[in-house]
Amino acid sequence: MTKNVLLLCAASLLTGFASCIKDEALNAECDIVGVDPAWVSGKLSEGILIGEPVVRNDRVDFTVKLGSDRTALNPVFELTPGSTIFPESGTVRDFSGPQTYTTRSEDGAYSKEYTVSFKYPSLIRNLNFEHFALNSRSQYYQWFEVGNTPDDRFDYWDSGNGGYAFTGMARTPEDYPTTPWPAGRRGNCIRLKTLSTGSWGRGVGMPIAAGNLFIGEFKVAQAMLKPRQATRFGRQLVTARPLRFEGWYRYTAGEHYQNIKEQILPGERDTCDIYAVLYEVDPTDFKALNGDDVLTSDRIVLMARIDKPGEPQEWTRFSEPFRPVGGRAFDYSRLATDGYAIAVVCTSSRQGAYFEGAIGSELFVDELRIVWEGDDEHEED
Amino acid sequence: MKRIIPLFLLFAVSFSATAQHEPADTDSNILRAALKGWHIKLSAGFNVGGTSPLPLPREIRSIEGYSPLLNISVEGAVQKRFDDSRWGMMLGLRFDQKGMETDAKVKNYHIEMTADDGGFMEGAWTGNVKTKVRNTYLTIPVLATYSLGSRWQLSAGPYFSYRIEGEFSGEACDGYLRHHDPTGEKAYVTHASYDFSDDLRRFQWGLQAGGEFKAYKHLLVNANLQWGLNGIFPADFQAVTFDLYPIYANIGFSYLF
Repeated sequence: MTKNVLLLCAASLLTGFASCIKDEALNAECDIVGVDPAWVSGKLSEGILIGEPVVRNDRVDFTVKLGSDRTALNPVFELTPGSTIFPESGTVRDFSGPQTYTTRSEDGAYSKEYTVSFKYPSLIRNLNFEHFALNSRSQYYQWFEVGNTPDDRFDYWDSGNGGYAFTGMARTPEDYPTTPWPAGRRGNCIRLKTLSTGSWGRGVGMPIAAGNLFIGEFKVAQAMLKPRQATRFGRQLVTARPLRFEGWYRYTAGEHYQNIKEQILPGERDTCDIYAVLYEVDPTDFKALNGDDVLTSDRIVLMARIDKPGEPQEWTRFSEPFRPVGGRAFDYSRLATDGYAIAVVCTSSRQGAYFEGAIGSELFVDELRIVWEGDDEHEED
Repeated sequence: MKRIIPLFLLFAVSFSATAQHEPADTDSNILRAALKGWHIKLSAGFNVGGTSPLPLPREIRSIEGYSPLLNISVEGAVQKRFDDSRWGMMLGLRFDQKGMETDAKVKNYHIEMTADDGGFMEGAWTGNVKTKVRNTYLTIPVLATYSLGSRWQLSAGPYFSYRIEGEFSGEACDGYLRHHDPTGEKAYVTHASYDFSDDLRRFQWGLQAGGEFKAYKHLLVNANLQWGLNGIFPADFQAVTFDLYPIYANIGFSYLF
């Protein structure tokens, strides 16, 4: 016991107050913290799962081999100590479509619904940004792609919006760095805008947030600790060799380029970034590239990037070939064992991951497409 | 510390001002006043204590560290002993500082903050909260006194304080925030600072009780407990959901004229 407590307790005695440390409350959290590693490694070695499940605050997404049986699966979850889940962990369920689980906290005061899905991999082909919805708390938009049936919803996009929510700067979903925009090249597009993170962002040394959208996962929990490692780029959605990365964009840089200390750097001009990388993964132990190494890792085999995007004010088409990186060659036998992952990344400030950029920089992107070997290259436009 | 000296001077000035209400021969006037049951005291001391919620809420799991800081108090007081009675009245004017630093471990500590630029954050924090409180007040205690013989005297009564300056700042570190409530998105934070100094309340009141011991003819040793009865933040302040009460012990000595 410290002096403070002693003093307070002594003071309390004088007036009859009871003021010491109370018994610990039961846990109020009710998370699916993860998926039982033994269950995952079992399913990986059975050749059903591809990669690690993606666990979010209200969703768990598994990717399974095309054609594998999803009608009787029994995922085992790890929960916040003391919390419960219904149906119970390990219950065999039909995952032909997504299933719902409800967790309840130890203290009984909080509960949460999780959507758990087992999806077949879908080749990333046309990315039109027509499909988006608010997150479960209606704070910001999230994007998804749809397949041939209504159940085929692919949540492989993510953005930094979940981190921006913590700055408290946004009043409406339109106030976030990454938003849908109705005036696209065709239908809706995405608008990525570099914004100030206000005093909370400054308080944690992250004064700006660049708008971004990428294939991969944004680990909100890590966003303030290791922001670059929170952006995990890429998914194991590669079943052919990618040839070209195409799309449309327009860009206006913000007026004042600033560094992480919020010093204006005169003469510097913000630049956007649009690229796709294909990199090697261990099929049984998926490790995504992150903001630190997404452009430099020696696992990168192919990259397609607009080198100097400039500031086109009108919709401008780009078509970049996937170029070999570091003398590495695409290996078809690796492809056959799910040994590749692909990431598509768009950001309104090229150095945004290092909190450098110009507030107000605005990038609009639409009609992205990855052309794979075997595709009819001229099916569009 | 810079403010202490001018305030000390202020005391000295106000003292001599009251003294000079009397005719020229000050010493004999004080003597005469004392004979009629009037006493004038000048005290100095230290405050040690805490600005704390009462009782400690469940969210506070442990106090990891505490520093009392150096809190000074200087007081001038006038006491009137009622004729043929142990009872009396004491009215003072006090300059006092009440402050502390704590490091507490909290669990699901509700926070709600609005920044100057409009950023609004609400959530449940689990981790460490370091707090520094340091308020400087001008205080008027209005006390009843009761004498226990020639050396001992007890006093008790309300006090009314006006905050001249204040600080309430600190940092949340090594923990995580859950947006809105314990089911919200989770974000680990190593370090985030906060400063609510501008939100502190000006007026503070409470009760004090204590005693003094007449060690020598002119020197008293005294101790009292000052228990704040309104929180240091206004009722509509949401960032800290529980009221924080200043509860301080004062130890010092007085010169009795």
